[in-house]
Amino acid sequence: MSFVQRMKLPLLTGLIISALLSISAAQAETAIVLNSVDENVSFIDTRTYKETGRAPACKEPHHLIATPDDSSVIVACAVSNELVFFDPATGKEQKRIKNISDPYQLGFSPDNKWFVANSLRLDRVDLYRAADYSLVARVPAAKTPSHMAFDKASQFVFITLQDSNEVLAIDLKTQQPIWKVPVGPTPAGIHMTPDDKYLLVGIMGADYVEVIDWRARKTVKKIVTAKAAHNFLARGDGRHVFVSNRSMNGSISLVDMQTLTEVEKYDVPGGPDDMEIRADGKELWATARFARKVQVVNLEQKKLAYSIPVGRSPHGVSFISHAPRQ
Amino acid sequence: MMQLLTDLFITIQGWLFDTFVQPVLFALGLASYVEMGFEGVEFVLLGCIELAIAYALMRPLEAWWPAEKWAERRAVKVDIIYSVLNRMGVIPLVVFVLLAPVFMELESWLRFHDVIPRQLEDWLPGLDTKPLASFVIYLVILDFAEYWRHRLSHTFGWWWALHGIHHSQRQMSFWTDSRNHLLDDVIAGVWFACLSLLIGVPPGHFIGLLIALRLVENLSHTNTRLDFGTIGDYLIVGPRYHRWHHAIDLPADPRFQKGCNFAILLPIWDILFGTLYLEKGLPPTGIHEQSAEEIAARDNFWAQQKLGLVLFWKALTGPAKSRSA
Repeated sequence: MSFVQRMKLPLLTGLIISALLSISAAQAETAIVLNSVDENVSFIDTRTYKETGRAPACKEPHHLIATPDDSSVIVACAVSNELVFFDPATGKEQKRIKNISDPYQLGFSPDNKWFVANSLRLDRVDLYRAADYSLVARVPAAKTPSHMAFDKASQFVFITLQDSNEVLAIDLKTQQPIWKVPVGPTPAGIHMTPDDKYLLVGIMGADYVEVIDWRARKTVKKIVTAKAAHNFLARGDGRHVFVSNRSMNGSISLVDMQTLTEVEKYDVPGGPDDMEIRADGKELWATARFARKVQVVNLEQKKLAYSIPVGRSPHGVSFISHAPRQ
Repeated sequence: MMQLLTDLFITIQGWLFDTFVQPVLFALGLASYVEMGFEGVEFVLLGCIELAIAYALMRPLEAWWPAEKWAERRAVKVDIIYSVLNRMGVIPLVVFVLLAPVFMELESWLRFHDVIPRQLEDWLPGLDTKPLASFVIYLVILDFAEYWRHRLSHTFGWWWALHGIHHSQRQMSFWTDSRNHLLDDVIAGVWFACLSLLIGVPPGHFIGLLIALRLVENLSHTNTRLDFGTIGDYLIVGPRYHRWHHAIDLPADPRFQKGCNFAILLPIWDILFGTLYLEKGLPPTGIHEQSAEEIAARDNFWAQQKLGLVLFWKALTGPAKSRSA
């Protein structure tokens, strides 16, 4: 038997094994979940739906966001005044940026020029240059600036003011607040429709999504979803958006952004809050704040498929292979 | 097993929250406080567990191995009220509601003047990824600060007017730990908040450790002959150690004119600052009241609150009286 013949079998075996491994690696992915009260992050194998480990984060981490290029997941640390960057593929900490004052909710403008941090506790919105996270302006924003959305041109950032029941618009060119409009009680999540026409606002103190024609600065519709309408995530089809209704016996609504109507609803107990959707659009993941779990909804069967135990007050979930953000 | 217990805890927490807390918050237009409300329910549940553990461990010590034998425990009742109000979150809630807006305004003002208070982790960057080590260092610093808060509450007449309520118990038991005038609790809150502005807030998620520490404080007030031995009494504050702090008659040495054994957790501070007094004896506890009103207030919650304020005002406006008086 020649050398080549002798090597054939092990070579073939090796090739088959590595091919299998690469297939498996392609399927396996790490979801990062932020546990606010436990002050750490959980890593979940998206193939087995099991928590594989945890890593310390910081003091009072509240929200996380992927960088526009998906190279990092940024955790906002409200009490320790810093941003912690994690590698979304491995879960390893990449770096920390200090002196980011009291970051609560984070956002990048669509043109990727601005990085905005809401300081819910200290009534302020901080505008940073996204390229190097250097502070450009601090804008007073009483009371309790919570979530944010941008217009397509990245000219404005719109902020919900949770305790004064308003939406605030800040002009990013001048870094000045330019107007406020009153909305329903305790506004939380805010989302721009793909046509750049309406702002959708989750009215947590009631049970609806308020639709605002932001150019006319007036409410045009209220879409009833369920108690404690809270946060938004685009389905990725350019037409639908998920709305988490964050009560103990909570649910997630699917809203059609063209007809401005609720078209589906899924029971998701435990206070569903932040969401993430798989790239193939088949699964919606949601942190259940009050249940210490991540709930996975099978969108084909339209029902809860998995409940994954994580830490206390999970408040943010992210993975790389997600559906488009529109 | 742990997951089962956790699930049971979450179920009870969720039910209490959904049935009692959330509807009230929504009805009052306070939906913004829903998360805090949920964590508040956890605080209360953990308080219940902690009290149950304290009762299960310390009540037998008091029954079978007491420092003093009492014919009846009527005087203890008022301390039970304080403990329940404290562990059920009523007193912490009052302190939070009073202080949070003030300190948030202060922090907000500092931010707009580009002052971001430094934290321990800024001085010791390695602590960022070692929360347990960070917790331990914060604990030592906070215990040091508590030593001085406690010592000063014996030094200033106006402060002793309030803190004297804690010392007026002649039947000291594990319940006595929470017996504090409400204004004294508010001052303790201010002290902690100022310290947090200076060094940062410690990591808050070591719940088990925090419960253990609060149990140590319960134990140090327990009516028992228990001590931690010749070496142990120098390492952690125990019942005999703290009983001398509550002694109705202070040691004769002028060093102890305002009191002795001020440490809350670690005796090292008493050793370093010359206020340690360790004797084998187990002295009676309490204070020598100066008036009939003070004696009448010994076992009554509202009378204590009123008396504290009256004495506080007198001390501010008249000649000072501190621990030794």
